[in-house]
Amino acid sequence: MRNFIKVLVVSAVFVTGKVNAQMPHDAIYMSKGSVCVATLYGKSTWTNYWENSLKRSNSNIGMHTTQNVLVMPAIGITNRLNVILNLPYVWTQTSAGNLLGQKGLQDLSGWLKYKVLSTHGFSLHAVAGASLPIGKYVPDFLPMSIGLQCKTVSGRLIANYKHRPTGLYVNAHGTYLWRSNIKVDRDAYQADNRVYNTDEVGVPNAYDLGLRLGVLRKMWQTELWAERSSCTHGDYVRRNDMPFPTNNMQASTVGWYGKFQPRNIGLNARVGYVVDGRNVGQSTNYSVGVLYLFKL
Amino acid sequence: MKTYTNWIKTASLVLWVVAVLTSCDKTIDEPQRTGYAPASIDENAGTWKTYLLNSPTEIPVAEPKPVSSSEYIAELASLKQKSASLTKEQREAVDYWGAGAVYRWNEIARELSARYNIPPAYNADGKYPVPDAANPLADPKFPFANPPYASRALAYLSVAQYDALVAAWNYKYKYKRAAPSKTDATIPVALPVSGLPTYPSEDAVVAAASVTILKAMFPGEVPFLEAKMKEHRESRQWAGMNVESDLVAGVDLGNAVAARVMARAKTDGMAAANNQALTAGMIDKAKERGLREVWLSQELPLRPPMLPNYGAVLPWNFDRATVVTLRPGPPPALDSPEFKKNLEELQTIQKNQTREQARIANYWADGAGSYTPPGHWHRTAANASYEAKHSEVRMARNLALVGTALMDAAITCWDTKYYYYYPRPQQFNVKTSVGLPNFPSYTSGHSTFSAAAATVMGYLFPEQAETFTKQAQEASVSRMYGLIHYRFDCEVGLKAGTEVGKYAITRAKADGSGL
Repeated sequence: MRNFIKVLVVSAVFVTGKVNAQMPHDAIYMSKGSVCVATLYGKSTWTNYWENSLKRSNSNIGMHTTQNVLVMPAIGITNRLNVILNLPYVWTQTSAGNLLGQKGLQDLSGWLKYKVLSTHGFSLHAVAGASLPIGKYVPDFLPMSIGLQCKTVSGRLIANYKHRPTGLYVNAHGTYLWRSNIKVDRDAYQADNRVYNTDEVGVPNAYDLGLRLGVLRKMWQTELWAERSSCTHGDYVRRNDMPFPTNNMQASTVGWYGKFQPRNIGLNARVGYVVDGRNVGQSTNYSVGVLYLFKL
Repeated sequence: MKTYTNWIKTASLVLWVVAVLTSCDKTIDEPQRTGYAPASIDENAGTWKTYLLNSPTEIPVAEPKPVSSSEYIAELASLKQKSASLTKEQREAVDYWGAGAVYRWNEIARELSARYNIPPAYNADGKYPVPDAANPLADPKFPFANPPYASRALAYLSVAQYDALVAAWNYKYKYKRAAPSKTDATIPVALPVSGLPTYPSEDAVVAAASVTILKAMFPGEVPFLEAKMKEHRESRQWAGMNVESDLVAGVDLGNAVAARVMARAKTDGMAAANNQALTAGMIDKAKERGLREVWLSQELPLRPPMLPNYGAVLPWNFDRATVVTLRPGPPPALDSPEFKKNLEELQTIQKNQTREQARIANYWADGAGSYTPPGHWHRTAANASYEAKHSEVRMARNLALVGTALMDAAITCWDTKYYYYYPRPQQFNVKTSVGLPNFPSYTSGHSTFSAAAATVMGYLFPEQAETFTKQAQEASVSRMYGLIHYRFDCEVGLKAGTEVGKYAITRAKADGSGL
């Protein structure tokens, strides 16, 4: 179950690209030769979760917490091509029960963000992303696992309109995420209501959609956002069972993002709350970060 | 700066391309099993000792029509038509069932065990409803196929298959009806044809016996099982292997044998295995023997312990009195230096669990949602028999010997667990990386199951004995790596399981198979 959070707040946030700072889903670019390094701390907690569609709590989990720290540089290759990288360290715990928390380096992600066109405040952006697991963490001890061990590739389109005099903007994106099969330690597992006699597990592909409304000024930014993420298919958490990487994890999340960067040092913060979901925890998550901008 | 940006650009592209190449293939590769002609058809198996039938002839099977009869000739013509050309689905069904009747029905039983192996959720009143056999698909589903339950379901399945096949072999060689394709060489066959007589059909015998047992063990799966049975039966005609009368005689025999086997199941004490009223007395006695702190459920709300009276269920390879003699001596006192040392060992693992320790713990966990350790060892036995190209009846013998030893292991282990009522490491602030079973600690079920099965497997497959022993030892120690058992739970469990396994070997040596 935590992996949901992990998947949605870490993988989705990181793998599909949802962390803050100059991010893979926004329309902000580092100018050529400039780099913004974001150092972030994130925390995500849930008490209720969706066992398939049944919303419940679990007195043997109590509150589930996932935390992470990460370094995320965004680099201006040209004024319209940026590279963004991210590598989080993640750890999990519960407030009740006896499941052993997991911790470790998760997956290295990278994105290439390219401004396809820009005219009269309208702009269109294409983002190609990929991630590789770095740590040898256990992917199927859910909800304690810190990730799913998938290699991923993602493609994203972002449309943005900015009213230049006021800085008001509206932004929409859609992402498709290809996820590799994974290997687990056991050589038989149950999924799709059958037993697979292999250590190879198929993890469904996923997509997300996002809508943002905000104001971006020279020194600050504030934004309200809503996102919907889902797998393309997958099975569900069986009654009173644990989650599994094959599950169709879905979440609708709303939140706020803000950034304050008067000079080359800045701060950002993000909060999110899952309003609806399937096979995931109803998480509240936040992150805070320090931004450091410099020229190469 | 150019160098930096170029480097970053290149690195990103490489990362992306590598990920593209590795992310696309979604195929899941599983071992494919195909049909084989058995290494030996075990002509004398009709004389092997059965478990519950008094003799292989206890259930009568009528003499078939002669192969020269008009009825049989009509059956051959019908078979020829059914096997003439197959659809893709029919071909797949033939291949699937061709891997072996015993093999597939054992696999199906394991799958059902996995599907039903989820503990009930607590309700709004903080109670755990007991699964109801009369309403098996309600929440919680019946059964909760935990390790003792799975060991029992699989043991009865294997015994029914074995007794039914021994009876079938007896009639096969009594009536000596050759395979249809040997009488009429123009019948297309899709599977290897051996010299084994085909009346009654061994596939129909196994299918009927298996379905009878599994319907009783998994009453919510009747439509699923009947569909499987129908496909299995039809596949034998699509494959050109059995005429209708082979199948009818096989189904009748399989049903009748399984009914005998179910008669034992109904009176083996399982109905009283979850008698929670007995636990107060068990706790009092454990305290009288000096146990300072008894086992307590670590779940909230407190979950009643799993099948506290399973130790009183009727064993297979020894009598109830022997269960007590197989019970190991007591675990260390909780105040002893030995206990302290064992607990500290787990605390150290918790602090520094290596990835290899986690791997071993996960590989053998076989926890909720799995077919449990008994299922794991049934799979090992079925695969070893398959690799050795054993006949249906010999594979059934292997599985019955291993399966009864596994159920005997469950009985002796559960007897021990509730006799000593010993606390889990989690009562001393140890966490777990595999999930905590809800019953007392001493002795380890995994260790007892694995040693019992490995002991029998080593006898059946002597050249692989060392492998099985090592697997059992790894399964045993995996429970320490998963932080839910002390070393003494595991080591004593291994010894007890080995003793249990020896009783199955004693039976095997005397069953007339000469194997």
